[in-house]
Amino acid sequence: MSLNFDPSYALEFDFGRGQIRMANASERVIVPSDALLALCRGASEDAVRDFGRRLGTEAGRVMNDRLGEAWQASLETVLEHLGGELALMGLGSLGLERWGQALVLSFSHSPLGAEGDLLLGSILEGAMQRSFGRDTVAIKLMRDDQKVRFLLAGHAGARKAGNWLAEGVPWGDILSRLTTRGAS
Amino acid sequence: MNQEVNKLQELLARVQRNAALPRTLVSGRGLAHEAPAAFSPPPYVPPAAELTAEEMFFESEPPPPEPAIASQPTAIPAPPVVQPRATLDASVDELLLEDPFPSVPPPVPTYGDVLDDPMQSVPAGSARPLDHDEDVSGVVAISEFSDEQPEELLEDDIVEMTASEAAELPAVTNTLDELNFDDDEGDDKRAAPQSEEEPPASSSRSKIAGTMDEALARAAEQIELEEGREVPLKTPPPESGPQAAVAMPAGMHAPLSPDIEELLEADILPSAGVRAAVPTAEQLGQTIDLDEARGPSLELDQPVASPEPLHEELASEEAEITLPGRVFAGGYQENLMPPPEAREELDAHRQRQGDDSVPPPESLAQYPSHRPEAQPVGFAPVIVPASVTTDSYSESVSTVTVDAPPNAEFAPELLARPEVGPSPVAKFIRTEAPRPKTFMELLDSSLALGSD
Repeated sequence: MSLNFDPSYALEFDFGRGQIRMANASERVIVPSDALLALCRGASEDAVRDFGRRLGTEAGRVMNDRLGEAWQASLETVLEHLGGELALMGLGSLGLERWGQALVLSFSHSPLGAEGDLLLGSILEGAMQRSFGRDTVAIKLMRDDQKVRFLLAGHAGARKAGNWLAEGVPWGDILSRLTTRGAS
Repeated sequence: MNQEVNKLQELLARVQRNAALPRTLVSGRGLAHEAPAAFSPPPYVPPAAELTAEEMFFESEPPPPEPAIASQPTAIPAPPVVQPRATLDASVDELLLEDPFPSVPPPVPTYGDVLDDPMQSVPAGSARPLDHDEDVSGVVAISEFSDEQPEELLEDDIVEMTASEAAELPAVTNTLDELNFDDDEGDDKRAAPQSEEEPPASSSRSKIAGTMDEALARAAEQIELEEGREVPLKTPPPESGPQAAVAMPAGMHAPLSPDIEELLEADILPSAGVRAAVPTAEQLGQTIDLDEARGPSLELDQPVASPEPLHEELASEEAEITLPGRVFAGGYQENLMPPPEAREELDAHRQRQGDDSVPPPESLAQYPSHRPEAQPVGFAPVIVPASVTTDSYSESVSTVTVDAPPNAEFAPELLARPEVGPSPVAKFIRTEAPRPKTFMELLDSSLALGSD
């Protein structure tokens, strides 16, 4: 199992055929980010979620191929490899935060902006499903100019967090409440 | 009869010498080259059959137009009047005084006209001799045969005639009546009706004066006529001219002329808004004159302007009520009693003022150099340490040391905080949270959040 993510020759540009391929993956198409956003704006929420999960599933599959046994990988290893695969897609820089027992993943410098948060969350959900076989819900806790944080929780925790977000509870308090009640 | 003819020939020769010969261009040319010093007989006008082709084409060119004629300011722009040919019964003077400036110049003969009527192009100054036995009408026909316009008569052209010669002219005229120089009957027919109805406009020149006085009198009359004549305007545009007035429909009328008084009022009033507030002249006419006020007469006297300082004016402008000035600046009423707590200090102050010596400045590190001798009742001397320090155990705290003299009246009492050894102020207890070893564990714990 490789501990370090090596992006060398990750992308292969076949000019003769006019194709772009990733290592151990299928062909890729480079599309403008604004065109992708326009497509997401025109599509329904379910369609965007399905599209994002397919992207995350592909990233999780590649990560599993690299890591071999992903369920034994540490936090750093998963972050490095999953983040590397998403970076190759051009979706931004993946980050990992542990708030007690809560797992928070973040994207920085995403070209999609705030309009692409639903897509990013769906990608994470697909990657968790493909890599670790867990059904997760990515709840967007906060968003600023450069970073967006997602809480990976189950359906129960996601529902509560969603309610608290709707009530205006700060995302830090939400994590504290979830951790306290979960611990108790 | 022959004598009369001879006299007439003499007379006509003179006339021709003075007037007729220089009129035509051809004659001018011919005479310029071979001007006879003496009288030359009038040229003989041969019949049409005797003319040759060269003679016919000799003077086919029309004479150059005379600009002076066209620019005559006194030309009457009346309906064009065809210049008629001189009637046969006109006298020599009438022929000579014929208007040399016809309103409508004769048409310029073309080449075809010349061929059709060669007589019109016969030059007056032709070298063909003329028999004296022939009709003398040839002399008169110089202007008749020539299509050129007669030039304006100069003074030299005026024939000086005596009374006897003038008396003989009608006889000659009668003789000339028998002559027929008109070779163009068509022109004669056209001109005849007009000449019969009214005299031509160009033949308005009167006869020549017999004497100088008469000429001067006529010239004066002519000048008067010229002055009284209205100078016509230029040719008006076709759309202008007198037109029949069309009655305007009912309800419409031409704008009335503005009232001068209203205009004057409008000039006086500055704007429309003010006009609305100011009564008009019509309203002023209905104004009721009020009686004078009944009551004591009020006389307003102009106050005497007194120069005031500028600062007083400024003070009155800044505040509505001008505050009184400080009359007792620096003083106080002596009957005021000092407060009881300040009485002792005031007594001490008065006692110090009684001394001649001035106390030096004091500092916190010294006791007052001058001590009052009288001790107030109720104050016991306080024994203070000779040296009081506020130094703290910490070096960062600033300290003040006061050396109080033993006889100080009000020595400060400074209390120092007891020294405390350095010890941790706060304690942070670090709790060791269980860190998941794998990502899978963290993910499972996170998924378990929120589940009861």
